[in-house]
This record gives sequence, C-alpha cells and structure tokens, in this order.
Amino acid sequence: MADDTPNKTHADDVAFIRALAELLNENDLTELEVKRDYGAEDALNVRVSRKQKIVTSAVMPAHAAVPAPVPTPAAAPAAPSQSAQTEISEDPANLPGAVTSPMVGTVYLQADPGAPAFVSIGDKVSEGDTLLIIEAMKTMNHIPAPRGGTIKRILIEDGAAVEYGAPLMILE
Amino acid sequence: MFDKILVANRGEIALRVIRAAREMGIVTVAIHSTADADAMHVRMADESVCIGPPPGTDSYLSIPSIIAACEVTGAQAIHPGYGFLSENASFVQIVEDHGITFIGPTAAHIRILGDKITAKETMRDLGVPCVPGSDGGVPDLAAARALCDEIGFPVIVKATAGGGGRGMKVARSAAELETSFRPARSEAKAAFGNDEVYIEKYLGTPRHIEIQVFGDGKGRAVHLGERDCSLQRRHQKVFEEAPGPVISATEREEIGKICADAVARINYAGAGTVEFLYENGAFYFIEMNTRLQVEHPVTEAIFGVDLVREQIRVAAGLPMAFEQETLKINGHAIEVRINAERLPDFAPRPGRITQFHAPGGLGVRMDSALYDGYMIPPYYDSLIAKLIVHGRDRPEALARLRRALAELIIDGTETTIPLFHALLDEPDIAQGEYTIHWLETWLEEALGEGHRDT
Repeated sequence: MADDTPNKTHADDVAFIRALAELLNENDLTELEVKRDYGAEDALNVRVSRKQKIVTSAVMPAHAAVPAPVPTPAAAPAAPSQSAQTEISEDPANLPGAVTSPMVGTVYLQADPGAPAFVSIGDKVSEGDTLLIIEAMKTMNHIPAPRGGTIKRILIEDGAAVEYGAPLMILE
Repeated sequence: MFDKILVANRGEIALRVIRAAREMGIVTVAIHSTADADAMHVRMADESVCIGPPPGTDSYLSIPSIIAACEVTGAQAIHPGYGFLSENASFVQIVEDHGITFIGPTAAHIRILGDKITAKETMRDLGVPCVPGSDGGVPDLAAARALCDEIGFPVIVKATAGGGGRGMKVARSAAELETSFRPARSEAKAAFGNDEVYIEKYLGTPRHIEIQVFGDGKGRAVHLGERDCSLQRRHQKVFEEAPGPVISATEREEIGKICADAVARINYAGAGTVEFLYENGAFYFIEMNTRLQVEHPVTEAIFGVDLVREQIRVAAGLPMAFEQETLKINGHAIEVRINAERLPDFAPRPGRITQFHAPGGLGVRMDSALYDGYMIPPYYDSLIAKLIVHGRDRPEALARLRRALAELIIDGTETTIPLFHALLDEPDIAQGEYTIHWLETWLEEALGEGHRDT
C-alpha cells in the first residue's frame, strides 16, 4: 500500500481483510489470496491463511522430525488468523476423511512446475484420480484418491517432505 | 567428514551408532516404523522419519523408503547397523548409485564374502585356513579312502544336494567309512534325487572363535584379536568373551595376521569378522560377516577403541585411528545378550516394561534401548539389552558380571537374565571350558522337559 493512502481507504482495507478471514473460516479453507488494483501505483495484495499447528505436529513428531517446511502461517492480520486457528483441535490424520501418505518422499501438488495443481479445495474427485505426486528415489509416484469425494482440505505444501502415514488431504 | 548420517536400524544398535555420531558432532536421522514411533532411537536422534508400517519388510527392509528418507533429510551417509540391510549387496549398490555413502564395505566385497561358497574360495586363495575336504563330489569309495588318508578322521559325508542337517553321516575310522559311504549315497539319492556326496573333516567339539578385522579400503588392515562365541543356542550367540579363554598370544598373532593380510589384499573397508571353528589348536574358516557385530563391545572394551567411530571415519575417507602396533589388549571383557524371552522354552515375550534399571559402576556398559514404560513390539528381534563387563582379568570380569546382573532390573516382561545367573554358577563357565555344543547340552540337562524345540 502506498504511504499516502488516505485513512478512509485503510479502514476499508481492514474491513475487507476481516471479511476475507471470515470467508476462510466459514468455508473451511486453508488459504485465500486476493489482489486489488486501485491504480497504477496503488494495489492491495492480501493473502489470508489458516495457521495449522496440528498438521505440523502430525507430520513431525514433537521431539525430532523431518525438516519439512512448516506450512506458512498467516500473511494475514493477527486477529482473524487467531480465530481461524481455534477451530482446529483434532489430529487431521485421525479424521475419517484423511488421506495419508503411503510412503516417505517429497510432495508435488502438480505434474510440472507451473502446471495447474491436480486438485484444489472444493474439487470433486473420483476414486483413482491423481491427488498429488510423491517423489521417492527419483521416482514420481502418483497418489490416487482412495475413494470418490470432495477435497475439503489440503494439509501439505508443494515441495514438502512427508513421512509414511502423514496426513495429506481431507477427502469427504 | 559427514554433516548428517541416517541410521538404518532400530533398537540398541541404532542407539550405539547415534552415540558415536553425536560424539563426532554429526547430526543423526533415525528411521522407524509406525510401531517404533516412541522408540528410544527415535527420541535420541536429531531427526526422524517414519518409513512404513510395522513389518520389517515394509519398513526397515524397504530400500526405496530408506533412500527417500535420505533424500528428504539430506543425509550424506547411511549406517546399516547389523541385521536388516547391513549385508545386502544390492542395497549397498543402490545407496552408492544415489550418491550416498554406505558406512561399510563395498557392494562387491559384500557380494563376494556374503556368499558362503565364493567366500570360502576367496579366503582360501588369500591363505585363510578352511575345513579340509573334497571340494566337490567324491565318485567312489577308493577316492573317499584316499581323501581321508590325507585329511584324517573323523570325516563327515554330506549330500551335495542336501542341507539342513539331512543326508549327513559321520565316519570316525576307515572301517566306518566303508560302512557309511554307500548308504550315504543311496540315502542322498532317495532324499534329494542326487547321489553325489562330498567329504569334509568333521569337527566334533569345536569352539566358535572369530577374528575382528578392520580395513581402510586402501590396502591397510589390522586385526583386533578374537572373540569366543561358542556359547550358542540354535546358532544364536548368547554369551561372548574376549580374549578367548583358550587362545594363546602366539595363536592370536598368527591367525590375526592371516586375516588382516587377507582383507588388506582385497582393499576391504571398515569392520569385518572372520569366523572360525577352532579345534585342537587349528582354525577352520566358516564365514565372514561384512558388518559390525552384535558382540563388538567386548573387543572395544579390551582394546579401548570405538569401532563405530572408526567405521564412520573410514567411510569418510579418513585413515584409521589405530595401527597394529598400537593395539594392545587390556584385561578381559564379557557380553551377555538379554532377550525378551520366557524360560525355559525361549518363547518371545513382547510387552510393556514397567521398570528398567541399568547397572552401573566400574567396567560396566549397558547397551539397551529400553526405558520405563517402553512397549516391546512383537515385530522384531527379541534382543533388548546387552550387558558388557570389563575387568583386569577373566575372574574379575566374571565377578563383575555377577554383580552387574544382580543390579539389573527389567520388570514387566520375562527375560533371559535368569539364564546368566545360572550359567555363572557352572564350573565349566568359570573355567572357560566349553564348546559350541556345551550350552545346548546344558540346557537339555538343566531345563529338561521344559526345554523343547518349539
């Protein structure tokens, strides 16, 4: 945001971001990114993401762990992010819809860098559809959907290291 | 030197490697199955990766998972421990092909020395004494007689196609050979469809003596004396000591030099053990183990060296920290293997450890992955602890073992600890007078009815 942004616009921005955070909560999303171009030199770029403490601890046991990239917490305002966080309390690996990793490796959410992701939140998938790729021993292993359903959550980031049994997605 | 190594094992040996690495300032990565998520090696390592479900074939033996664990953690080398993939040449080849260092010998050495037949040929060519025999089929009685005149009685006639103790006959004299050779052939024909037999010198009351060797991979190698591991049950060692109670300094020097020279000539790298049967002052090669052994701590105790540290150094291309001239034996060491097994039938006893107290004091070492509340999973080996004692001489080591065993507490499951209390009361053990058959005979007598084959 430009320095000379009037106060009124700033207040609008805060309200806008707050609305986005609520949207995130209501729809059970993990991340939301919006760009608004007000003018040539004046743009608002907001990325609201939900802090996923539990995912981190599920992928990595607390005492010692794979140095998997921690899911980026909040480029979002503090208040809404906190309220989003309180909603998640259970271990995603134990959720009925959890799809867990069948192997150790590196996760890729798309076939090639720059290509569209195999699936996004809200997508309906059929059994056998590729959800993501796990690279192990230089081999790209396509991980199929174990059943048909809707992608409710994506619990890992592109490029993350996962263990055997780590929760990858919630598919319901 | 490596910054980070992955330990491809579990239990006490994983801890053993982690300890050495930590002293060297190397970051460690533990791998584990889902059954071992709370295991001590996972807790002690700097990082850990769950690589699969409980069965060993899907986890600790899963080569792709272990390589992937190296890739995601950036580990530069793998220490295999013992068992699992430690002597798997194709695993070592894959590790090498992925640009990861295997802490141990090359795939080629494991391949040659891991196969019993090529190992025997290789060792014989390198001047290591082997069990004399026919080296192939013996066509008729005349040839059998001629051979036995050369190698001396007793001999054992074995079916070439046989195995597992079937199709074998012992002949103690020329007369016995006459009466047993033809029946051996016809039995072989009946049992295996092939009447070819071969003849070897029969060792009736041998001891199991093994020589610890260590090579730098560049043509230099040393030996670290012998271990007497004669006390075995079903080919599983239960009590090991160094030096061997009946091996003289001259014998040690001679056989040690033969073994060290043999592995030096093939540019062997790292720790290895050359196993022999020993009878009447002669050594007969049986096999070579191209890895660290369970009983390595007794050798470490009497030589004051850290064999795992040396393995890591040599794998990193550094020279060995010792030379033959600087390796001197100091005192006597004994190891007992404590298994989660019920006596008298040695049935495995997985379960939760309610209380664990390790003995301490001078000359006592406890290598174990147990802790209070630990659940021994049913999927793996039943070895749960190794108690190693070191004394100035054998009597002191025995007294220390007795004292340490009395301090040791493992509650919540049954263990083989009572076996060692009983063994220490045996005059034969006190005097070091035992062969590879001693323990099984003693168990039969001491435990009688309860000690049956399961």
